[in-house]
This record gives sequence, structure tokens and C-alpha cells, in this order.
Amino acid sequence: MTLLKEFTKGFIKENPVFVMALGLCPTLAVTSSVENAIGMGLAATFVLVFSNIFISLIKNLIPSKIRIPAYIVVIASFVTIVDMVMHAYFPAIHKSLGLFIPLIVVNCIILGRAEAFASKNNVLRSILDGLGMGLGFTLALVVIGGIREVLGAGQFLGYNLFPETFQPMLVAILAPGAFIVMGLLMGLMNLSKKK
Amino acid sequence: MKYYLKLGFILFIITAIASGVLAYLNTLTQPVIEENQRVAQEKARKEVLPSAVTFEEVTGKLTYHIGKDAEENVVGYTFVASLYGYSGDVKTMVGVNTDLVVEKIKVISQAETPGLGANCEKPEFQSQFSGKQKVEMKVDKDGGTIVSLTGATITTRTIANSIKTAMDKLDISANESAEETE
Repeated sequence: MTLLKEFTKGFIKENPVFVMALGLCPTLAVTSSVENAIGMGLAATFVLVFSNIFISLIKNLIPSKIRIPAYIVVIASFVTIVDMVMHAYFPAIHKSLGLFIPLIVVNCIILGRAEAFASKNNVLRSILDGLGMGLGFTLALVVIGGIREVLGAGQFLGYNLFPETFQPMLVAILAPGAFIVMGLLMGLMNLSKKK
Repeated sequence: MKYYLKLGFILFIITAIASGVLAYLNTLTQPVIEENQRVAQEKARKEVLPSAVTFEEVTGKLTYHIGKDAEENVVGYTFVASLYGYSGDVKTMVGVNTDLVVEKIKVISQAETPGLGANCEKPEFQSQFSGKQKVEMKVDKDGGTIVSLTGATITTRTIANSIKTAMDKLDISANESAEETE
């Protein structure tokens, strides 16, 4: 596989959310606004890239029996770094993402890529894979978040799009809306693939 | 047996390195985080009691701040009212004048439902608390005058009740400090 393909596969072909159906818990939880979606996506991308680099570097030093706990320690360390740095320098985003930052640890995209890719490939490919998958995850979050924010709050990135009289579809911004929007998007992805 | 000890040792090294790095980063970010929180609180205090220039902390039943203007006159008090809302504590910074009439309130932290209870952060909602006294802290559904947020009566009631409860505690301590100065 060429290096470019390694990077771009995460966007559509192997999109972590829509195609591989990984990391759905944060996807459903943080997509109530585009701002949260971007914050979560970029935080997860950071963790993904750095944990991929590290795991690819130390893959030969770790006995296969304890690889999973070792990966979790590496991932958890980067998540804690993101958590602390965000709390210190981006308190607003940290406040709105709240609990979901520490939960990146158990985001299955990250462990999944560590196990399925970084532990078998070199550093360069692992960086590209992590970047592509992370941005693909961000893209999916922003699309879902955009639809939900526009329908459910009549806003995009916090800006009002419609006149005062617009009655937002509240369900879109509540938990069921996340399932409905994600389900429809997944269906559309499958439909377009069949053709 | 030896093999398993080796596995444990490798894991130990990995976790030791990781915790060392994190401990170092923590010493770097912790002061910034604390400073941020202090500045945010200070800013919220200024916002809810604009006429005050300096604030003096008083600890007691309820920690509150006495707001003073440039001539050292007491212009009011600020305190944080906090109660459990619909999905987490709702914290509100409240500024009251010397007659204990609310100047302004500002929700400083909440985890309510986005689109419903989370609208309590909007200025249009918060402004209706201005000029109200303790007895007026009642939601319209309970026969009061505070207009509930659509679909979030619990959040609205929480804020009203938290201010009322905090004022109950403040009332006593405010009198005490008044007596001391006499």
C-alpha cells in the first residue's frame, strides 16, 4: 500500500466510525455541537498519532503476552497529557468535553490501531495511519455534530443560522438524535458503496 | 516462573517511565490550571457585582466575598450557589447588593442536557434573576415569577433553590460581620 493511501484510507474507505464502527461511544456523546466534535476529534488524533509512534518504536521490546497492558499504559499516558494540557491552556473546551477526555483511553479506535497497525508497521506508516484515522474520526464527528447542531439548536459553531422564529428540532441534540443521525449516515455510506 | 517475573518487570519499567513523565508534566500544568480557576472566579465575581473594585474573602458557613468600591465602601457580596441539577452540580456565581437583592447571576459550571438545561448559561435567562430578593426565588411552575427554561424546569428550580439556600446561610454570616463592625 502506498504511503498516501495509508493516510487517506481513514477518511472514507476505512472510516473508523462509519465503516469500522469503532469509537461509537464518544461519537454519540460529544457530537451535540461542532465545537465539541472538533475538540474531541483533535484530542483523539493527537493521542492516536503519538501512541502509534511509541508503540511502533517499542513493538520489538514488548513480549506479546503483555502487549495489551503495555499499549494501554502508553495510551493512558498520552491521554493524561492531553487532559492536563487542555485543562491548563484550553479551559473552555476542556470544560465542555469534561469526562470524555479521560475516556479516550478506552476509545477502541486507538487500541485497535495500536494492535492492528502500529505493532506491525514502521514508524512512518504508523504516523500516517494514526493521522489519517484520527482525522477520519474528526471528520465523522464534525459531520454528525454539524447535522445535529443545525437541526437541534439552529446554530453552527455557536452562530445562529436562522431567524428567532425557527423552532429547533430538539430531538436532534438529545441522545436519540445521535443514534438517528449516525444510523442514517452509516446507511448512506453503505448505499453508496453498493452502487 | 522466571519468565513471568520478567514480564512483570518489563511492565513495571513501562509504568515507571510513564508515571515519571506524567508527574513532571503535572508540576508544569498544575499552577497554570489553578491560576486559570482563580482568574475565572475573579472575573465571574466582577461580572456579577460590577460596582465592586476589590473583594475580600470571608470563610464561614458559606464562603463569600465582600465587594468594596474604590473608597472601601461595602457595595455587596458575591458567593457561589451550588446544588445538584438534572445531571450534575450546577454552580452559580451570585452577586447581591447590601440589601441582599440580586445584582446579577452567572452560571459558572453545569453539565445539564445540551439544548435544554444547558441554556441556563444564556444571558437572557440569567438576567431575569437580577433585582430579585430571596423570597422571589421561585419558579413559575411553583407559583413564582422566574420563567423556566423550555423543557428544563428542574435546572431552573435548582438554580433558584441553590441561590435561596446559599442566601439563607449568607444572611446569618452577613449579620454577624455587620455586628462585628458595629
